[in-house]
Amino acid sequence: MGWPNIFQRGTLLSRFSHHHIVVFLLTFFSYSLLHASRKTFSNVKVSISKQWTPSALNKSVELPVEVWNSNHLFPSAEEATLFLGTLDTIFLFSYAVGLFISGIVGDRLNLRWVLSFGMCSSALVVFVFGTLTEWLHFYSMGLYCCLWIVNGLLQSTGWPCVVAVMGNWFGKAGRGVVFGLWSACASVGNILGACLASSVLQYGYEYAFLVTAAVQFAGGIIIFFGLLVSPEEIGLPAIEAKENLEEDSHRPLINGAENEDEYEPNYSIQEGSPITQVKAISFYQACCLPGVILYSLAYACLKLVNYSFFFWLPFYLSNNFGWKEAEADKLSIWYDVGGIIGGTLQGFISDVLQKRAPVLALSLLLAVGSLVGYSRSPNNKSINALLMAVTGFFIGGPSNMISSAISADLGRQELIQGSSEALATVTGIVDGTGSIGAAVGQYLVSLIQDNLGWMWVFYFFILMTSCTILFISPLIVREISSLTQRRQARILSE
Amino acid sequence: MAFRERGRPSSLVAWAAALLLALGVERALALPEVQKQLRSLAEAELLICIQCPGSVQNLSEVALYCKQTPGLMLHARCCLNQKGTILGLDLQNCSLKDPGPHFPQAHTAIIIDLQVNPLKDDLAGTFRGFTQLQTLILPQDVSCPGGINAWDTVTFYTNNQTCQGQRNLCNSTGDPEMCPENGSCEPDGPGLLQCVCADGFHGYKCMRQGSFPLLMFFGILGSTTLSISILLWGTQRRKAKAS
Repeated sequence: MGWPNIFQRGTLLSRFSHHHIVVFLLTFFSYSLLHASRKTFSNVKVSISKQWTPSALNKSVELPVEVWNSNHLFPSAEEATLFLGTLDTIFLFSYAVGLFISGIVGDRLNLRWVLSFGMCSSALVVFVFGTLTEWLHFYSMGLYCCLWIVNGLLQSTGWPCVVAVMGNWFGKAGRGVVFGLWSACASVGNILGACLASSVLQYGYEYAFLVTAAVQFAGGIIIFFGLLVSPEEIGLPAIEAKENLEEDSHRPLINGAENEDEYEPNYSIQEGSPITQVKAISFYQACCLPGVILYSLAYACLKLVNYSFFFWLPFYLSNNFGWKEAEADKLSIWYDVGGIIGGTLQGFISDVLQKRAPVLALSLLLAVGSLVGYSRSPNNKSINALLMAVTGFFIGGPSNMISSAISADLGRQELIQGSSEALATVTGIVDGTGSIGAAVGQYLVSLIQDNLGWMWVFYFFILMTSCTILFISPLIVREISSLTQRRQARILSE
Repeated sequence: MAFRERGRPSSLVAWAAALLLALGVERALALPEVQKQLRSLAEAELLICIQCPGSVQNLSEVALYCKQTPGLMLHARCCLNQKGTILGLDLQNCSLKDPGPHFPQAHTAIIIDLQVNPLKDDLAGTFRGFTQLQTLILPQDVSCPGGINAWDTVTFYTNNQTCQGQRNLCNSTGDPEMCPENGSCEPDGPGLLQCVCADGFHGYKCMRQGSFPLLMFFGILGSTTLSISILLWGTQRRKAKAS
């Protein structure tokens, strides 16, 4: 199939200029920083709820009021935890809504401005939320909710913009593996956030927020001065144009290889030609692009499972097996590791096959199996970690692939190629739908776990994974039929 | 509830200084000018010493203590050290039903005499913060604050009783987790304990340790951001077309 296609063009690396590397790193770290500030919030939850509540100790010893009992935002730590959970849900919903909006905004304004503005302003909001309120000793539930809604909206500018920029720079060939590696940015952000938070938490939780917000603000400034949103900005040819030209010259050499990009003989670009001002696609048009709705729905189901694993895994481990919380936190990293490897490897395979849906489907089928296996994991840390990595491989992998590589494919498909800006809008739609799924899932998982127990949570995950397969099955049929049709057409022409 | 008057309201100071000048002119004249000024400043806020007229009784324990220890001097009802800290307080025969609002000023006292006063038998909270107190002389019908366990020896005499030697109850309760996390137990007067922040901890619930190096952090972050921005602008965006 496509083996020669990639390797005849030289190794992936030699095709990339230093611009590619800088763009990869800048987008990678800008999203990492956004994710780091989210992780900071979940890592300082214990300190915050201590800060918001009076001391529960009831003994003969005198607890001087100003030191131990002056804050009464919540009567007990349980209620503070409940409020923090509500803040998480509020954030996810406003993030989901924001994704739809900021994708549209990103395509209409300069991606660099939107991303830079999003990072800096969300850093300021985090600073006000975590640091300023503490310095002023002003604790108010209403203010916290408002700030977190605004933060969700501002944070949502990140993902559509970085995926759009990556989609502009990295062409469809090799996109799977590059995006697979790149989508490790969320996990790296989590680790970064955890490290930053834990290293300054001793000075007070407000400094954990201050440090992540300041670093994120600095990242926004660097993005503003350093990011090139597309190759056209410095007069390089657009990625499709380049690929088409290259494919054109290679076409006779590639025996039997089929290219997914339609070859358009009348489409060419001269280097250094002025950038044609392209019009952005409307939200409705973006929804109508083939595959967008189906992938969005599929991603909603899959992100539900994936995020539930992120949020509930440590709790499940300490709850079900009685392991210590810190140990469970550490162990749950293996799910991330599996996800990164899975995303990269499956991206690579899909590059080679030049089809993404079949790879996804196969991986998701295996995911059902791994979920069954994981739900029956014995009380043994190494076996559990292994099963967790396998589950991450088959669930986190496809999830990463849909949110990055496939979103970029969809936003740059041939129907709209070169004629309009759709990348950020499409990414926003896919990830926004996914985030709504994730937000609903958070609620459902806690409900199911409370009423029916952990086993039913796993059945729910299996159901959702099956739904994902159901939603992408029309795409598999289409992709496979188009493959066979082309082959037949070629045989006929020969 | 612990209330300690450590604030120094300045209007009060001025008022008290004027009063002191009027009251203690005779004695003050005997002292060198500088010392007089220093003293009147230091004594200015010691209202507890003058709330009951007269001075320390000549044969009282407080007078004895003050004369035996070098460097101490008598002032109205108090025995002060050079810095003006109250070390002894003699309020006997003052017709006190309770020690009054200025009593916490004497929290540094080592010896206090309250005999021959119609005191009510409820002094538990009154002595909060009196951690130095070693000798307390009370009317006979008033029991030692904190109970017998809070003192090394309690001696009864014909017209008074003496509570001697304050015990530190932090070690005696045998409960190592008496205080919340990062808190440490400290005596807070006879029979009283309190949780203060353990060494190195501060802030609400003693959750904070050390102070954040703000200047260094922002210095490093700012310079790093500046240099990366310049570097990337030079290598990436310099040739970019304005869009």
